[in-house]
Order: sequence, then C-alpha cells, then structure tokens
Amino acid sequence: MRFNFPTWTNRFVPVLIVTILGGAAYVGAVVFAATDPQTLNIGHKPTQPVPFSHKTHAGRLKMDCRYCHNTVDKAAFAAIPPTATCSNCHTGADANGSVSVSAVHSDSPNLALVRQSQATGEPIDWMKVHDLPDYVYFDHSAHVNSGVSCVSCHGRVDRMDVVEQVKTLSMTFCLDCHRNPDPHLRPLEHVTDLAWVPDEEPEVIGGRIREELNINPRTNCSTCHR
Amino acid sequence: MSKTWYRSLRELENTAEFQEMLHREFPEAASEFPKGLSRRRWLQIMGSSLALAGVSGCRFEAETLAPFATRPANRIPGKTQQFNTTVEIAGQARALRATSYDGRPIKLDGNPDHLSSGGASDSYTQATILDLYDPDRGQTPIESTGGSKFNRSWIEADTFLTEQFSQFAGSKGDGLCVLAESTSSPTAQRLKTALQDKFPQMKWFDYSSLSPVNSRGGATLAFGKPVRTEYDLESAAVVVTIDSDLLGQHPEGLRNARSFSRGRNPDSEQMTRLYAVECEFTGTAVAADHRVALRPSQIAGFLASVEQALASDEETHAADESAPWSQQVFAALVDDLKKHPGQSVITVGERQPVEVHALAHRLNQKLGNVGKTVTLLPDESSADTFDEFVTHAEANGGSMLLLLGGNPVYDSPADVEVAELMEKFENRVHFAVYPNETSAVCNWYLPMSHPLECWSDATLYDGTYGVAQPLIEPLFESRSQIEFLAGLLGEETDGLELVRQTARELYPELKSTREWERVVHNGFHADSTAKPITPELQNFEGPAASTEWQNPVEVTNGELEVVFTTDSSVLDGRFANNAWLQELPHPLTKMTWSNAAIMSPKTADALGVKDDDVVRLELDGREIELPVYVQPGQATGSVAVAIGYGRTHAGLVGGDVEEGVAPVGVNAGVIRTAGNRYFATGLKVSPTGRREELAVTQDHYAIDKVGLEEIHGRVGDLVREGTLDEYREHPEFAEHRVHHPPLESLWTEVSYDGHAWGMAIDLNKCIGCNACVVACQSENNVPVVGPDQVRASREMHWMKVDRYFTGDTEEPEVATQPVTCQHCENAPCEQVCPVAATVHSNEGLNDMAYNRCIGTRYCGNNCPYKVRRFNFLDYRSEMEAANRELMNLVLNPEVTVRSRGVMEKCTYCVQRIQNTRIEAKNERRPIGPNEIQTACQQVCASEAIVFGDLNNPESDVAKAHADARAYGLLAELNVKPRTKYLARIRNPHPWLAPPVESAHGHGGDGHGEEAHGEHAHADERHDAEVSHNSVPAPTQELREEQV
Repeated sequence: MRFNFPTWTNRFVPVLIVTILGGAAYVGAVVFAATDPQTLNIGHKPTQPVPFSHKTHAGRLKMDCRYCHNTVDKAAFAAIPPTATCSNCHTGADANGSVSVSAVHSDSPNLALVRQSQATGEPIDWMKVHDLPDYVYFDHSAHVNSGVSCVSCHGRVDRMDVVEQVKTLSMTFCLDCHRNPDPHLRPLEHVTDLAWVPDEEPEVIGGRIREELNINPRTNCSTCHR
Repeated sequence: MSKTWYRSLRELENTAEFQEMLHREFPEAASEFPKGLSRRRWLQIMGSSLALAGVSGCRFEAETLAPFATRPANRIPGKTQQFNTTVEIAGQARALRATSYDGRPIKLDGNPDHLSSGGASDSYTQATILDLYDPDRGQTPIESTGGSKFNRSWIEADTFLTEQFSQFAGSKGDGLCVLAESTSSPTAQRLKTALQDKFPQMKWFDYSSLSPVNSRGGATLAFGKPVRTEYDLESAAVVVTIDSDLLGQHPEGLRNARSFSRGRNPDSEQMTRLYAVECEFTGTAVAADHRVALRPSQIAGFLASVEQALASDEETHAADESAPWSQQVFAALVDDLKKHPGQSVITVGERQPVEVHALAHRLNQKLGNVGKTVTLLPDESSADTFDEFVTHAEANGGSMLLLLGGNPVYDSPADVEVAELMEKFENRVHFAVYPNETSAVCNWYLPMSHPLECWSDATLYDGTYGVAQPLIEPLFESRSQIEFLAGLLGEETDGLELVRQTARELYPELKSTREWERVVHNGFHADSTAKPITPELQNFEGPAASTEWQNPVEVTNGELEVVFTTDSSVLDGRFANNAWLQELPHPLTKMTWSNAAIMSPKTADALGVKDDDVVRLELDGREIELPVYVQPGQATGSVAVAIGYGRTHAGLVGGDVEEGVAPVGVNAGVIRTAGNRYFATGLKVSPTGRREELAVTQDHYAIDKVGLEEIHGRVGDLVREGTLDEYREHPEFAEHRVHHPPLESLWTEVSYDGHAWGMAIDLNKCIGCNACVVACQSENNVPVVGPDQVRASREMHWMKVDRYFTGDTEEPEVATQPVTCQHCENAPCEQVCPVAATVHSNEGLNDMAYNRCIGTRYCGNNCPYKVRRFNFLDYRSEMEAANRELMNLVLNPEVTVRSRGVMEKCTYCVQRIQNTRIEAKNERRPIGPNEIQTACQQVCASEAIVFGDLNNPESDVAKAHADARAYGLLAELNVKPRTKYLARIRNPHPWLAPPVESAHGHGGDGHGEEAHGEHAHADERHDAEVSHNSVPAPTQELREEQV
C-alpha cells in the first residue's frame, strides 16, 4: 500500500517553497557579495618582512615614488627597489664596525633584514599587495607617461604605514577609466604627486591633456589580454 | 592552368577511410579520451612540454617579490634584453641573437647583422632554447662501476682525472686517446694543440656523423685542397641542385634561401630558374621549376652526361614530348646552362660521392661561374679522422679514451662496433651535454654546458670569427668544453680569459678591451671573414657518363636503393629529446614522432605494400622493421629512411630504455655501414603483416569548402600559381581565378581608420621549411601533445604549412602554403561564439579572450580556414611535477599560458604589437612602417611573410597587398581575410612550359578589364556560387550582435 502524507502536512508546502527560494536567494547574495572584487580585493594588507613605511618616506620625507620604483615610466613593472636602494641611506656598520656619518638608523633591528640582504646578496621577499591575474598585461609606463597618477589605482600610499589595496583593480575598474579617461589625467609633472589637487575641473584639465598627448585608450580584449 | 591538386594519396584515391574522416565533424577519437595510452608515457610527454606556474584561484594568496640585492646595470625587471652570440647548433656555427627575460634566455633568432642569416633562423635554432631547460641533460658527473651508476661531484671527477693525467704526464700521453666531436671553435683548437704539445704521444681524432666528408673530398680532388663554396643565387639565372638541399640543410641554407628568394622576383628582368635532380623530396625542390627524381646512384651519371653535353658544340634542342621526363628536363637544363655562361650555379649535396662534387666544381669553373655566382673560400676546418680512430683503437687500445661530445656508439656506421672498440680502453670518459648511448658504455660521464651557458667561440661557414657569451649561469653542475680542456692542461680555466687569449693571438687588434667588447657586443669580428680564393683546377677523372638515368626504373625487390636522410626534426639524432622538433611535421611527409620507409606510389605498388604497413628492410644481412609511408616524388625504386630515430638513451622524450621509455621511431643506423653511409643498393623489402599507424598531420585541419568531390578542382583556388609568361600576360591572374557573385555584406561594414594590421605571405618565396611553425611555438607557448594526440588530430600548432602535390605521383610538383588565422574582418568564428570570447579589435585583430572561452568549439567548426586549436586536455598540468619544473623557464611571459577546454589561435603576435605600441607612445612617435615583426616573419629566411599596418602606404605589407599577385584565401566567402597570399610564379623552361591559358582558366577572355568581384556569369560553372550557398545564413540575433 502506498504511503500518502496526511492532509495536514499541506500547510507546510508554502513554508517549504519560501524556505527554498529564500535560501537560494540568500546563498546567491552571499556568493555574489563575497566574490565581488569590492569584497575580495579591497583591504588586502599583507605584513611585509621589513616594516617599511610609505607614510614616512613618501609622505613625511616627500620622497618621489620614482626614487625607489624607478622603472615605472620605462617598463611594464614598477620595479620593487633592490636592497641597494635602501642601503643608500640605511647602511650598516662596515667590516671595521665604523658607520658612515650619513647613515640613518644603521643599527635599527627593523632593518636587520636589509643589512643581511646587502651583505649576502640574497633578496628580501616582499609580499605582493597589488596582484593582477596572470592573464592581464598591465603596463605602468603606458599609464604614467599618459598622465595617469599613481594615486588613481594605489590610493594615498603616502598616508599608509602598511600598504593596502584600496581599489578593486577589477576589469570594470580598468574599463571605466579607459572609456572615460578625462577625470583621471593630470599634467605629467604631477603624476607622482599623490596630494595634488587640480585648480580647475578635473575633466577640463584631463580633456586638454588627452588632446595634447593624443591619448585614446583602447577597450579591445587584446589591449590587456594576450 | 587548371591543375589537380592533392594533399595525400588517400585523398587522391578517395579511399573509404578518407571519406569517413572527411564526414566526421572532428576526426575519429578527437573528442574521446585517448585509449591505450599509458599514463606513464603521458606524463613523460606532457612533462616535456610546458607547465603553468602556480595558478592562483583565490585572492590573498601569498605571492612574493624578490628584487635583486643590487640590480645589474641597465637591467629593467620585466623588460627583455637581447644579446648577440655565436654558437654551434646542429654541427654548424651560427650567429645568433638571444632574447633574455629577467636573466633567462627565452628565444633564439638569427643575428640580423650577419649575412649568414640576416636575422632568419631555422627550426633547429628555434628549438635549441628548449634543450637549454631540458632536465634530461646531464646534471652531475656520473660514475659507472660494477654495473651501477653513481652521481658524483666534480671534485670526485677531478680527482679521478688528475690521477690519470699525472700518469700521462710521465708517459707523455701514451695510452691516452681523444675522440672529439668536430668543432669550429678556435679556442678548442688552440687547447687541442696545447694538449698535443704537453702529451706528444696522445692520439686525437675528430668525428661527427655530419662531417662534410664528401664535399671536402670533392674539393680536394678538384683543387688539391678543401674549399668552401658560397653562392650568389640572387644574380644567378639558372641554379641546378644535384641531390642537394641547398636552401635547407646546407650549412649556408638560410643565406642561400634568402638570396634565392630575392632572385625569384617575377617582376625583375631575370627570374632565377631552379632545377632539382634528387632522390628524396627536399625542401629545396619545393621551390624548383623542374624536378627530376633519380635514384642516388644514377645521379653521378646524370651530371657526367651534363658535362658531355656541354662539351659538345651541337645546338641544343628540345627532347621529344613522349620521352621520359628526365630526358626532357635534361635537354632544357643543358640548354639553359649553355645560354647563361657565368650566370649559373651547380651544387651537389653531401650524399653524392667525391667525384660528383669535384665534377660540379669543374663545371662551375668551365661555365665561368666561379668569381661571379660561385665564390670559393678557404676551408680551415679539421678533417674527420674517425677511420683512423678505428684503426688505432683496434690495433692499440689504451688506458684512457676521452670522448668530447658526440655519440659515436649510436651514430657511427653499423659495421664499426664502437662499443667493443671502446672496451679496449681501461677508462672511458664521456664529456657531453646529454648522457647518451655512448655514455652508457663509459665508466665516467661528465656534463658539458649548453652553448648558451658558457663563453666560447666558433668560426662561421664564411670564416668569420664569432664569440659566444653566456646568457645564463650553468643550470646544472656542468663545464664548458674549453674550460674542461684547460683543466686537463692544468691551466687557468676561466672561459672568458681562454677565449680572449685566442682572440688576442688570432687578431692582434682585439687586444684592446674596447675592440674586444665591440666584438662581444656584435657577436662576431666583422673583419675576419675569409677572402675568396682562386685555386687551380686539377686534372681528375670525373664520374663515368652513363645513360642509366634516361629511362624509368623497373622496381626489383632486392635491388632497391636505400637512402639515408638526415631528418628535418631530429637531424642525426641529437635533437631526439626535443619535443618541439619531434612534433614538428616533416615539410613534405607531414609525419611527426617517427621515421618511416618512404617510397613512391609506384614502388609501393610493385612491392605490394601501402601506408602504415610495417615492412622489413634487409641490406647485406642487416635488417630493420619500419612502417611504410608512400610519398609522391620519391625516386622510383628507392626507399628513404631518416636516421636519428630509435634512440635508446636520449631522455624521457626521445626514448630511454633504462627508464622504460620506448624509443621514438626506429634506428636506421643498424643497416647503415661505413661504405654505405648515404645510400646503398641491394635493399630487400618484405611485408611483416603488421600495421602501425604513423602520426601524420597531412589531412588534419584540411580546408574543405564543399566536399570531397569538389576538392580537387578547388585546391587550385587555395594555392594559386601560374607561369612567368602567364603572369606577364595577365598580372592579376590569381585574383581572377575564382569568380563569385558581387560580395555584399549582411552586416554594416566597419571601417578601420587607425592601424589596420595585416599580413602577406608570398607563396613564390615559401619553401615550406617549417621554421615559422617552431618560431611560433617558441614565441606563443604552444604546447606539445604527443604522438597519440597527433593521430587524433589534436596538434596545437597555430601555424600549419599545407603542402599540395600536383601532377604525376612519381614526378609531382609541390606547393606549400603557410596558413594561420587570417583575422577576417567578417570573421565567421565571432558570429557563432555564444560568450563573445572571440571578438574584433578596432584595428582588425580577431582577439581571443581565453578566460571567457567556455569551449563550445563552435568557432573552430565555423572557421573556413581550420586554424583554431582546442585544448582537449590540459597539456601542461602534469609538468608541475618537481622534476620537470625547469621547463617552465622557456615560457614567454608576454603570452598567456592556456589551459584545458580553451580555444586558441594565431594572434598576429599581439604581444609584439602592444609592446611596440607602448614603446612608440612613450617616445611620442608613430609606429614605424615595418617596425613590428611577427615571430614567423622574423624567422623566415626567404622573406615570404610580411606584417604591418595596411593603412600605412609605406609598409611592406600594404605594398604586398597592392601587388598584382595578391589574392585572399576563400575571399569569395566575403570573410575579408587580413592575410593575403601572393600567387606563386613558376619559371619553366619554354620547352617544358604548359601553354599559357586564359587567366580565368575557363576560356573566357577580356575579364581582366572588369573590376574584380563583380562577375556573375550565369552560364558558366562557378565554384564560388556553390560555396557561397554553403555558408549558413546568419540568424537575426547574430546580425544584430555584429552591428
């Protein structure tokens, strides 16, 4: 004999439907929100092996970004500086134990790794903060030479003790600017000036620069994907 | 000219299995997982191709950046740098330019500043970069004692060597014997002399299986001393190649190909005419106007008859039309040679005996070519003394045999038992890049550095002194040859210092550091090129004239001729472990991953065998078993077998019996004896009843317009050719060969105002050498798939070189056609992609976004050119195994590495376009007209491929597209391909030329005046109308999407 649910269970059918639909919507919303670049990418703030502070160097000391990231206007990568760049100021004691008069924090324990790297030639393993997928080919030089400031993608690094990601760096993020670059363009001499404030409407300045430098960003697939 | 073309005999005969293949959407098993493929073998093959380094699925994966402690001067991380170097590859010194990315070389090309290549390179050069990262190379010294192998350090090896050599110091080298692979390195020569001075009793012999014994001997016979020959094919009117691959495997093949292709200009007053008399179908013969297939033993008689005919004062006249083909060509050839004194070139291939080489020298001299089209240069290389080694070893033996490079156990003649001879020495030490068959019978193997890892030098064919600089520190515990030799002398072992010392001694001007650095920078010393010589011709007896060549050969089993060919993939076996080369289709047979017994259809019929039948080849009591490959154009009554296969100790790709990896192909060296190194008569072929399917790509990805019944007539539409007379009469014959109704687009036409990238391929120049295929593989990270996948038609090469035969199957003509993505403006692939993974850029590129692709394969199916490749399996994943990880270093970081389930195809090297664009933009200048070169263009010795901006009238490609010979492949489908082909022009001797037909091929006249593309002849059979109808009408949705 077949088993039939008693009639009183029919009351639960709407509840069941609501639960299933609601549950699916909830899971969908969570997955959607959780995998959104806004959630995933922003706020990535790894701890670096050497507690280097951009706030101190770029902010307080007003060092130009290109003092360290000197290939940013020449190559696709804004190179992480070699240890030798750190050692320009932060030399340790030499073999005789004497310290250069111009050396800064020559015995700071925070810089132990720098001194060790300089002595052994072994690189310091810095943690990557802004990490694009392998199939995206971004070129720093193309942007920096077109008047796109560091701040457009990296935010106010000069105010960060520990660098963190502040923009999504998602495909939409790239395309928004490629489709309408004007608000993000500035005179080339201010590209590394993160605190620069335009004295007129950004669109107006940007439009002028776009004309001047003949900037027409592409939105082809092969612009970024090869 | 309406010719019947065929890609393969299966197609010509229209066999049932061919029908079956054609009607399946994808070849059999192309979508099923490979059966019967051992997982182990799979891993090994995949391991040899390339892997994808750690894909990150999740965000916030810890990725580190490791900058230098001190960055080297001029190094910009992530930017490629180029270095000139001169190294020996495939037994030949080559001037190269290496591209290095963050300190690791990723690509090798010819040095554009040296004439020997002019920037071009061949498939061996391209593939050498893969060898550099091959984990099967020798990694440490290995000592074999008591049947076991032990990894040793160099310290232990040095201890052993020092002990041995201290004894030799007392005995003045008595008992020490060196068998060295021939090298052109002056430093190695200097150290050899120094060793001989220190150990006067030492015996030193030079050996290479590629030694030019015959050409050297021929020159010695003709002039009393060895000479080298350079040809000026550009200004030659007639070129005769006698069993020679002049444009291919000749040491100056690249230079010859370039100068030949320049002389092949149909718009010039005098277009070079090429006659090829040969046995196997060489790449050179692809370019020939007339080819005669003769058995190698008949060729000497042929050339002797040429001499006789030239000596007679009789007026030349055409042979009877009913006469055999060889006689007709002979008459035309003699006529041409007589008419063009001082403007011809006769060249003989290494296979022919010394008398034939000497005779060619005499003919060139008599015809007045020397000093004009033929230049003689002194030959300073050392002679091959392998025979003396055999005599010495048999008689004396000794206490130590030192083998420097080479692999005599594998590649020496079969009747010389080198392994047994080696046993006569107490200690056998093999110093080589790869441990191989020879190392297996030695008690010490010592790893040699790859040429890109060390300082060295080399002498180019034209005598130029070249310097090799290291591109990378040795990856393994290896030493360079010169450092090793210097170590034996107990001298300074700094490679740079050793080379500098040689340079100082040879060229005093290089004492200056500045000059030396200039030479290192340039890669060679420009002032050192040899000066032409004019040696006196000696009296000698040429080969006997015979008439054997005049009549067709009867096939008699037991009296067949076997020809041993150096393979276009593995050469003499030294590239057996190179997966790129193993998978490279042979230019003519399109065979991969094996060798075969190659014979003509007539021969195969007479023997009662067909393709894939395994046959036993017996010669003088020795035998091998090989599958048959039936090749049109192989001389009747001869069987060609490639050497270099069947390696038992090559590595995990080429075969390593100790690791349980079966050899690839069969070792033909087993029937190759000292007297018969190149060819032999008396071969018996008997079927074994077994069959073995060869991995042949010839019918794969075939462009099929309507169906087989139409194919034959239509291939002529794909590869279009005419004669010089036809071209002069109707320059635009090619474009008019196909008629179609007016082409009206279903979609709004898009205009391209900025750059419009395009390509042009000149079929008149292409010789089908395949270098472009490997260059593309190297540039674009194209994976290797292995023989089973090739059989399933899954090869991944972005570029295929189609070759088509026409005419008689014994004396066919051949045409080659490189095909890549044509970047159609109305791309059919884009219309069917459901996810817009392939879309057009505003510069006309057909972009492929791998990350969008969901692998429906609709695009591949809708592509009329069949140039899209699908990753059926993850051809790289297995490579992440720790022991193969090194191979990742060969990947070009500028190109995405694709994964399973993704379509891929030619991108016109978009990475090069983008990088040049950014560079130009940063420098605030426009992109130069010919600034961007694709990888296939860069490598092409005959300059057949040009690329650039069609909107820039200065660019070569715009000029090529405007050429009268230009036509679009399947342009009648209105797909608007961005690649155009330039029709091939043959330059037949008037006696052999077909009558000039109408340019239209169907009797109509006067169409030449009408605008192309506007014809609509209802009364005539029009191929294109049929095919036009066969294009599925696009749906409304697609139309909207396109707009």
